[in-house]
Amino acid sequence: MDFTESEERLALRSAVAGLVAGYGPTYYRSKAQAGEYLSELWTKAGELGYLGVNLPEEHGGGGGGIGDLAAVLEELSAGGCPTLMMVVSPAICGTVIARFGTPEQQRRWLPGIASGESILAFAITEPDAGSNSHRITTTARRDGSDWLLDGRKTFISGVDVADAVLVVGRTEDARTGRLKPALFLVPTDAPGFEARRIEMDLVSPDHQFALFLDGVRLPGDALVGDPDSGLLQLFAGLNPERIMAASLAAGSARHALERAVGYARERQVWGTPIGAHQGLAHPLAQVKIELELARLMTQKAAALYDAGDDAAAGEAANMAKYAAGEVSARAVDQAVQTLGGNGLASEYGLGAAIAASRLGRIAPVSREMILNFVAQHSLGLPKSY
Amino acid sequence: MGVQGGRPPAMNIVVLVKQVPDTATERKLNPADNTLDRASSDGVINELDEYAIEEALLLKEKHGGEVTILSAGPDQATDSIRKALSMGADKAIHLNDEALHGSDSLQTAYALAQALRTTEFDVVVLGSESTDARTGVVGAALAEYLGLPQLTLANKVDIDGGTIRIQRQTDDGYDVVEAQLPAVVSVVEKINEPRYPSFKLIMAAKKKPVTKLDAAGAEIDPAKVGLANATTETVDFAAAPPRAAGTVVKDEGTGGVQIADFLASKKFV
Repeated sequence: MDFTESEERLALRSAVAGLVAGYGPTYYRSKAQAGEYLSELWTKAGELGYLGVNLPEEHGGGGGGIGDLAAVLEELSAGGCPTLMMVVSPAICGTVIARFGTPEQQRRWLPGIASGESILAFAITEPDAGSNSHRITTTARRDGSDWLLDGRKTFISGVDVADAVLVVGRTEDARTGRLKPALFLVPTDAPGFEARRIEMDLVSPDHQFALFLDGVRLPGDALVGDPDSGLLQLFAGLNPERIMAASLAAGSARHALERAVGYARERQVWGTPIGAHQGLAHPLAQVKIELELARLMTQKAAALYDAGDDAAAGEAANMAKYAAGEVSARAVDQAVQTLGGNGLASEYGLGAAIAASRLGRIAPVSREMILNFVAQHSLGLPKSY
Repeated sequence: MGVQGGRPPAMNIVVLVKQVPDTATERKLNPADNTLDRASSDGVINELDEYAIEEALLLKEKHGGEVTILSAGPDQATDSIRKALSMGADKAIHLNDEALHGSDSLQTAYALAQALRTTEFDVVVLGSESTDARTGVVGAALAEYLGLPQLTLANKVDIDGGTIRIQRQTDDGYDVVEAQLPAVVSVVEKINEPRYPSFKLIMAAKKKPVTKLDAAGAEIDPAKVGLANATTETVDFAAAPPRAAGTVVKDEGTGGVQIADFLASKKFV
């Protein structure tokens, strides 16, 4: 067992940290406030191959694993630029297409995803089904060799910057008549496809959308992979999603903790840095411990996934996402408390982080659903729903 | 080189890279022998050397050839050599010998000159000073040892055939300095914007050849290097005094003038 990341992984972390240092929280915030995307950072990271480290080399990727991609996102987030679309485009969509897409779909999409020139969004959540893939009502019907897609999606990230959306729908099994999940690549300019922005109280360059799919006509080759193993394909993309969400949350926690610790070292009251007081020092130390535990589980999940053990990776990825979501909320909470009034002053950027830090508890799957999963699958307790 | 027109032949470019303690951390001297305490902080590439690497890579992209990193330092300097290779350099020479410990600037220049004699080169590029010792003399001393022209403080480098021409940064502009290759060039940070290592180059860096060289291999005379033979001596050291309180200027109509005077006194304007 090896608890040290490889030399290359550490070099990648340091390179990404160097890049993001030139942007930082001020850049992120000003882009968010101007309603603009992080295009400069995204483009540069793509040029350097950081956005596609996990994708196959023959399609323009780096030939590394999800652990490498997770390291990139953690460093970007720790540097104050949580780059949400990395969770979606290279991690979920890139993984699904690389593992299950047709050679033509791989040629069409992977090089652009790897370089960042193409962005794919991912749509699973529905207003009435949440993320319950068994309850999805978006349905694809055959029409000659085409597909006609109807349904609604909600809380879909980054549709405004995406070229296409990987939509989780269902097709009717010709033999049994049962509906089963299937994934479709839907261009954002397809007739019948409408995206409406959901106003959020988050200071973020990434926007959320409700999607309305009304008889969207798709060519036969819009279906990704094998229609009979849609669920398997879906889960192949969801483990990387959780690992990446955990990395974003852990990186954001690092960022908040660093700010708090920096402040606690320098801010003096009655001749002593406030960090000398255990009332502030101990909670920060606890955050540090929980952060390292979350990072460790995230790295374990990534290592299991990269070793091809999808089932074990699933449990670890859920636990990592839980732990990272908790510590991101706790780190920001404690950072604000450490800074006192400055914790809510715009200059320090922590006020806006309060709302953002709750994301890790909610998305891509809620804390409660993870507890359900662990109760049922890890502990063997009866299912509650 | 000496080519009549056309594209010059591929160039061998050597970049001198020094591993220094991270300027973002607290740097310490070792009270036992008044040399740098390398264990007390992380080693990083001397910042100006990154500009030297970038300039070498730009020269290679323009003229073809190979970029070789030369670094003198203990085992942990390997990390900085890898970083330099991951920026795109082709190979490296690591001069590593306990006998070199405590060498001062002149001795270091001598040792580097000896190491350079083990390889072919057309131009040697280095940062104009290091963030730890800050003597800024290694480039000049090295050129003397090698008997080569030195072009220092370059903020622009052009090579045309066998001629190298630089803009040498001065307080009020620049001088144009020209020499024949081979030559030694030191660069300042205005010269370029160092690149970040791409993922592909990071992965490739481990496979690039690093030649290990010890003092004997470089035919370095042990009597000319090391703390015991140093031409300079660190007699004592003390922590820098805490920063004094700043000057508070109350604006009574002359605030702008006072700010301008202050900036002028610091040569900012």
